[in-house]
Amino acid sequence: MSKHQYAMVMDLNKCLGCQTCTIACKKLWTDRDGTGYMYWNNVETRPGLGYPRQWDRIGGGWKDGALQPSPLPTMDDYGHAWEYNYEQRLYEGKKQPVMPSPEPHSGMNWDEDVGSLNGDENYFFYLPRICNHCTYPACLEACPRKAIYKREEDGIVVLDQDRCQGYRYCIKACPYKKIYFNEVAGKSEKCIFCYPRLEKGQVNACAAQCPGRLRFVGLLDDTESPVHKLVLVHKIALPLFPERGTQPNVFYVPPFNPPKREHYNKSILEDSRLPLDYLLYLFGPEVKDVITRLEAELRNAQEGGRSDVLQLLIGRDAETRFHVRPQLVQIQS
Amino acid sequence: MRIRPATLILVIGFGVCALSVAQSGSKPIAGQSLPVAASSVSTDTLLSGGPAAWKEIAVKRVALNRTPPLYDTDEPATLDIPSVDVRVVRSGAKLLVQLTWHDSTQDATVLAEVPNTPPETRFRKVQTEINDRFFDAAAVMFSKQPTAGAVTPSLQMGDAEHPVEIYYWNATRGAMLMQAQGRGTTRRTGESFPARGAYQNGQWSVTFELPDLAAGTPLAFAVWNGSQKDRDGRKYFSVWQVLE
Repeated sequence: MSKHQYAMVMDLNKCLGCQTCTIACKKLWTDRDGTGYMYWNNVETRPGLGYPRQWDRIGGGWKDGALQPSPLPTMDDYGHAWEYNYEQRLYEGKKQPVMPSPEPHSGMNWDEDVGSLNGDENYFFYLPRICNHCTYPACLEACPRKAIYKREEDGIVVLDQDRCQGYRYCIKACPYKKIYFNEVAGKSEKCIFCYPRLEKGQVNACAAQCPGRLRFVGLLDDTESPVHKLVLVHKIALPLFPERGTQPNVFYVPPFNPPKREHYNKSILEDSRLPLDYLLYLFGPEVKDVITRLEAELRNAQEGGRSDVLQLLIGRDAETRFHVRPQLVQIQS
Repeated sequence: MRIRPATLILVIGFGVCALSVAQSGSKPIAGQSLPVAASSVSTDTLLSGGPAAWKEIAVKRVALNRTPPLYDTDEPATLDIPSVDVRVVRSGAKLLVQLTWHDSTQDATVLAEVPNTPPETRFRKVQTEINDRFFDAAAVMFSKQPTAGAVTPSLQMGDAEHPVEIYYWNATRGAMLMQAQGRGTTRRTGESFPARGAYQNGQWSVTFELPDLAAGTPLAFAVWNGSQKDRDGRKYFSVWQVLE
């Protein structure tokens, strides 16, 4: 067990689906050879196929103490990285329009805004995803090279590039499919929770850049941190697919959409815009309690009361949203 | 990762098998000795010459075994490659080993060359083409310290008393020298060695240039079939063969 655990909370009610987090991550970490197709951070539309396609349905994780089987996703599931023929258009005088190549057929938010129908009303929301830096990482257990380890000082799960030999058992084992294979390097890679930034007191790039201000970062055991308050005190943030057994350390405030037009003042549990079954699928049975708590806070605020929970979720400034404490997690020599 | 009980039984079985070779003394038991030919042909010719340069060399057909499923989540694999043909030649101060086996699929590619400039200085990067393929490979493992008929190393990458050298060749990534002192300790040294692989008529023929090894040195062979998703301990392996 780690001495401390960095965690992130994402408020899904605030996500714009703008992918600024994705680009912040990509420019910083995966703008290298072999990494074009991989997004350590991605934002996908839910309900939807996800990235890689059907990652939530193909396996991995734990059941009764044993790793669960899963196929490796294919490049078609992730979507090939494509380039545009700028040279031909701009420098070689060819008249054809600028086109991507290879022709895209899938990607990290391919079915953007498609969503689904609830009765005759369309609904969807965005789900930003990074590695969950799990307390019981299936990837770590699956690696025969012992290339994956969980940092004792802050709980971040990292993959040692010197030890990795590209066997890809970790990718199969991860129920969130958040490890990627770099064929050029012959090694697998994953989100490192921006630990070099955290060590310098800077928050993760995805969180720093988020225009929706929906990400909260801190140590789960730091009582001053927003993640501690949201997850452990107010109990309004839940991990994704808790039944997969890895105990994620990324938590989500479930989407808390307004009621349907003609049903104002009804509870979301009573008549939700988002089918409750889908939220139960993603976040497990506790989601009902979380929505009940959130509704109570909202009602209180609407009646003129003060809600610390909603004030925290608004997250007006970086000091509210981020508590990066490198002095707390220094390795004891 | 949890190892299946059945796996342990099989592993112990192989260990007993290896031990039986060791206890037979300096003279290998029949069927597990490996003839060594002497050749005046240069190592370069033997490495690059193909079947013509090797046709006079005595061949030993060595049975291959499939490692049992090592992990709970392993898919089962069939014994598609039941044997490997081994030829050994001493030439100069080198030992050349040629492994030949039938494999109906050539799991190999030529990866795009990565320019020798930092990626951040290039507009275009080399891209991952396929993320779920595995390549054919083969290896020769021998004891670092020749064992003159005494106990042979563990077949599972040697052991603490018997460090092993592994000359590993991959159809896509080339030749890599590895060392190990037991299961899970294998590491790449960063060094390479002369090797050549050729695929023709559904058959791989891979030649390894090893340092000269004394008579009595135990050698073991491994083959990985990429289309069976072989990598790591998921492979074909032989029991120890002892150099004559």
